[in-house]
Amino acid sequence: MWKSLKAALLAAACVPALAAAQDLDAMSTAELYDRAKEEKTVTVFSLSSRIARVEKAFEATYPGVDLIGLDLSSAKQIARVVAEQQAGVYAVDVLYIADAPVALRDLLAPGRIHTYVPPRLADQIENRFKAPLLVHRLSTKVLMYNEQAYPDGSPVTNLWQLTLPEWSGKVMMVDPTQRGELLDLLTEIALHPDEMAAAYKAQFGSDIVIDDDLSGAGEQFIRNLFLNDLVLVSNSDDLNKAVGTRDAKDPPVAFGTYSDRRDNEEEGWALQVANDVEPANGILFPAVLAVADKAPSPAAARLLIDFMFGDDTADGGPAFAPFNVPGDYATRTTIADDPDSVPLEDLKAWTINTEAVAEHRARIADLIITLQ
Amino acid sequence: MSMPELAAPGWRRFLTARRLAPLLMILIVGVLVLAPLLRILLATLSPAGIEAWGAILASPMSPNLWWRPLMNTLILGLGVSAGCLLLGGFTAWLVVMTDVPGRRILGVLHTLPFMIPSFAAALAWGTLFRNGRMGGSPGFFEANGFIIPDWLAWGIVPVLIVLIAHYYSLAFTIIAAALSSVGADLVEAAQMTGARRPRIFFGIVLPVVTPALVSAASLTLAGAVANFAAPALLGLPVRMQTLSTRLFGMIEIGQAERGFVLALLLIAVSGIFLFLSDRLVSGRRAFVTVTGKGGRTRRFPLGKWRWPLFVAGFGLAMLTTIVPVVVLVASSLATQTGALFSNWTLHFWLGEGGGQIAQGTAGIFRNPVLIGALLNTLKLGVVVALITMLLGLALAHTITRNKGTVLANILSQLAFLPLLIPSIAFAAAYIALFGAPIGPLPSLYGSFTLLVMAAAAHNLPYAVQSGRSVLGQISTDLEESARLTGAGPLRRMWAIVVPLAIRGLLAGAILVFVKMVRDLSLVVLLFSATSPVLSMVAYRYAAEGFMQFANAITVLILVICLTASLVAQALQARVQKWKE
Repeated sequence: MWKSLKAALLAAACVPALAAAQDLDAMSTAELYDRAKEEKTVTVFSLSSRIARVEKAFEATYPGVDLIGLDLSSAKQIARVVAEQQAGVYAVDVLYIADAPVALRDLLAPGRIHTYVPPRLADQIENRFKAPLLVHRLSTKVLMYNEQAYPDGSPVTNLWQLTLPEWSGKVMMVDPTQRGELLDLLTEIALHPDEMAAAYKAQFGSDIVIDDDLSGAGEQFIRNLFLNDLVLVSNSDDLNKAVGTRDAKDPPVAFGTYSDRRDNEEEGWALQVANDVEPANGILFPAVLAVADKAPSPAAARLLIDFMFGDDTADGGPAFAPFNVPGDYATRTTIADDPDSVPLEDLKAWTINTEAVAEHRARIADLIITLQ
Repeated sequence: MSMPELAAPGWRRFLTARRLAPLLMILIVGVLVLAPLLRILLATLSPAGIEAWGAILASPMSPNLWWRPLMNTLILGLGVSAGCLLLGGFTAWLVVMTDVPGRRILGVLHTLPFMIPSFAAALAWGTLFRNGRMGGSPGFFEANGFIIPDWLAWGIVPVLIVLIAHYYSLAFTIIAAALSSVGADLVEAAQMTGARRPRIFFGIVLPVVTPALVSAASLTLAGAVANFAAPALLGLPVRMQTLSTRLFGMIEIGQAERGFVLALLLIAVSGIFLFLSDRLVSGRRAFVTVTGKGGRTRRFPLGKWRWPLFVAGFGLAMLTTIVPVVVLVASSLATQTGALFSNWTLHFWLGEGGGQIAQGTAGIFRNPVLIGALLNTLKLGVVVALITMLLGLALAHTITRNKGTVLANILSQLAFLPLLIPSIAFAAAYIALFGAPIGPLPSLYGSFTLLVMAAAAHNLPYAVQSGRSVLGQISTDLEESARLTGAGPLRRMWAIVVPLAIRGLLAGAILVFVKMVRDLSLVVLLFSATSPVLSMVAYRYAAEGFMQFANAITVLILVICLTASLVAQALQARVQKWKE
C-alpha cells in the first residue's frame, strides 16, 4: 500500500520534473542565469584540472553562481556517480568525462546522465557530436615519432610496417588493458577491417590471410603488432620520454597524444605526429559534457555547459581558453584550430564511433589479454 | 537446583564486559569491513559478475588474467616479505639491541623508505638501470658503458628489489617496537647462567618477537601484493602483470566486475597465508615479557663489529632512503624530467607565475590553496591515525586476550582484509552503504565523518597488527592485579596497557598517518569539499603534466611524515620515562 502510494507520488512528481527539464533545455542563457542565481552553486566532476581556470572565468561572467570543481578521472567519476545514485544521493550537476564508450553504457543508458545541447550552439556543432553524447572537444591517440631522428618525416607510412621485424621492440603504447583510450584505439582499428585489408595489400602486394579465430584485418593487425614485441608502458610520460628525447639514437615510435608536442621545447623533446600513414594514424576521441540525473542545480548545470563552449570569437574567448591547446580540437565549428598544428580535416585519424566501440570493446579487450 | 536458576545467572555472566567487548568488536568490524566486502561480493554475483568469474578462472584468457599474474604476485609477496624480515629484522636488532654508533640517526633513516612513495624508488631504479628497451636517454649504468640486460632493468627482479627497499622499513618499525620491550632482566638472567650470544638470540630474543615477525611478514606481504606503482612502472615494459595491475586495469577500462573478482581472489589467496601465519603464532607458547619489572633494554656490545655493521646499516639506508629522496628532490628542481641533474631551478617551489617555465604556472608555495590543503591533510592524517589507533588497540586487545578462540580468529582475519580491497571498490561500497540515511542516522554522503570511517577501516590492519605484536608481550598479571583493585576496563586500558604498549601503538599510528597523507583514491572518491588535501593538489599538477610541481608536493608530504614520526618518538620517550 505504502509502496504503491510512494510510486504514484514519485510518478506524479516526475511528470512536471520532466516537463521542467525540457523547458530548461530550451531556455536562453539569460533565463538560465536567473534560475542559476537561485540555485547558487553548480558542482562539476572534471577529467581535467583545467576546471580551476574555468571556475574563475565562469564566476566572473556569472557572479552569484559558485562553481565547485572536482578533478576525478573518468573511471572514478563513473564509480562515484553509480554508487551515489544507488544510495539515492544526487549531488553532482555536470560531468566532464572521457571514456565515452563506458559512460554510454554505465551512465547514459541507465539514465544516470542526460545529454543537453545548448540551443545557442545547436547549429554550430556537427550532428555526430551532439548525440548520443555532447562532445566538447576531441583529443588524440595517434602515431608519434622523433622529428630530430627522422628529419625527412615519419619513418612509418603504413600501419602494417609496425608489424615488420625492423620495428620489433620499437613500437610503444600505454598498456591498453590499463587505459581506456588505448583500448578504444585498438577497437576502432578492429572496426575498420576493409581499410586495414587494403592497407595490407598496399604494403605487401598480396591479400591478407586472416587467422581462423579472428574476424577481420583489424584484429589480425592487433595480433601481429603484439607478436612483434610491442612495448607496453604504464604512463604517457614514460612514452614521451622514450620517443621524443632529443639526440636519442634510433628512437622508437609510439601511439601517443598529439597535444603533448606542446611540451617539446620545455622538456627537450622532438615529438611530431606521423600524419601521412595508411589507412589512419590513430584516433580522435571525445571529451563529453553531460548533465547528471536529478541534478540539484539543473539550470546552473546547463549554463555551465553552455559557457564551456566559449564565446563567438575564433579562439572561444576566456571560457574556452583553458582547453584551446594545439593538438586538441574543438567540436564547435566557430573555434579555429591552432595554426601550428595539422587542421582537423587533414589529420588522418579516425574519430571513434562511440556506440560501435562500446559494443565491441570488451571483445577486443579479451583478444588483447590473450596476446600478452 | 532447577534449570531456570542456572540459566539466568549464566546468561548474565555471558554478558559481562569480557564477553561484551568481543561482540562489540565484531559489530564494529562487521559494519566497517564486512559490509563493504559483502557488497563487492554481491556485485560479482550479478549476471555480468558470473561471466567475469568464468572469464577469469575458466576461459582461454585465464592464463593471462589469473594464473600468470597470480604466480608473479606470489613470488613478489613471499619474496618481499622474506626480504623485509631479513633486512627489517637486522636493522631493528642493530638499532635497538646493540651499541652500534649513530643508532638514533639509523633509527630515523630506516623508518623513511615507507614514507617515500614506492614510485620514487621505482623512478630511482629506472634512472640508474634503464636500458635500450625503453628508448629515450640511457640510464646511468648504460651511459657509462655497462650493458644492462632486460631482466635487470625490467620485470620481477627490479620490482622485488624496489618493493623490499620500500617495505622493509615497515618491518623495521614493527620489529623495533617489539624488540624494545625485551626486558634487560631476561637477557641478563641468560647471561648469568652462561648462555652464549647465539643461544640468547635464538632462545630468548627470537621467540619473544615472533608475533612481531609474523605481523611484519603479513603486512609486508599484503603491501607487496597490493602495490601497483612498482610493477606497473618496471614490469609492464616486459609485459609482466600482477594481480594488482590486472585488477587496477580492469576497473580502469570499465570492466569493474572482473576487477572485483580479482580483488576477491587476491583476498582469498592472502587470507590463506594469513591463516597459516596465525596458526603459527597461536600454536606456540605465549611469551610474556612485559611484566612491569625491568623495562630497560639491554644492549649487546658489538666489539670489533661495531663499525662494519654501522657501515652495513648506513649503506642500506643510503640505498633505500637517500637515493630515492635525492631523485625525488632533484626531480622537483630539474627543468627537464629527463635530465634530473642539470639546469636546477627553485621555480617549482617559489617561482612567480607568468614566465616561460611550465606554461606560466607559479611555484607551489605561491599556490593559494596550498596552506588550506596542508591544514586539511594534517587534520585528516591526525584524526584518522588517532581513531584507527584506538580502534586497533581495542581490536588487538580483544584478539590477544581471547587468543585461540574462533572469535579471535575471525576478528583477526577480518581486521586484516581491508589492506587488500582496492580503494576505488572500498570507497564505492561506502558511498552506497552510508550515502543514504539509515533509520534515524543521517546520510553521511560527502562528510568528513564518512571519509574518516572509511579511512580508519582501510588502514585498520596497520594498527591491529602493530598493536597485536606488542600487546602479546604484556603480562595479564598486571591487568589482573588492577582488576582486583577495582579498576574498570577503560581505566586499565589507559593506565596500564597504553603506556606499556605505547611504542607499538605509535608505530602503528605513524604507519596509518603516512598512508593517509599520501592516499589519493579514497579521498577523491569520498570527499566533496572544495578545499583539497595535498595529494589532490599533487594529482592536479601531475594531471597537467607538471611532474616537478607534483614531486615538490611529494617532498613536502615526506617532510610532514618525517616530522610526525619524530614527534611520535619524542612522545614515546615522555610516556615511558622508566626507560631512561
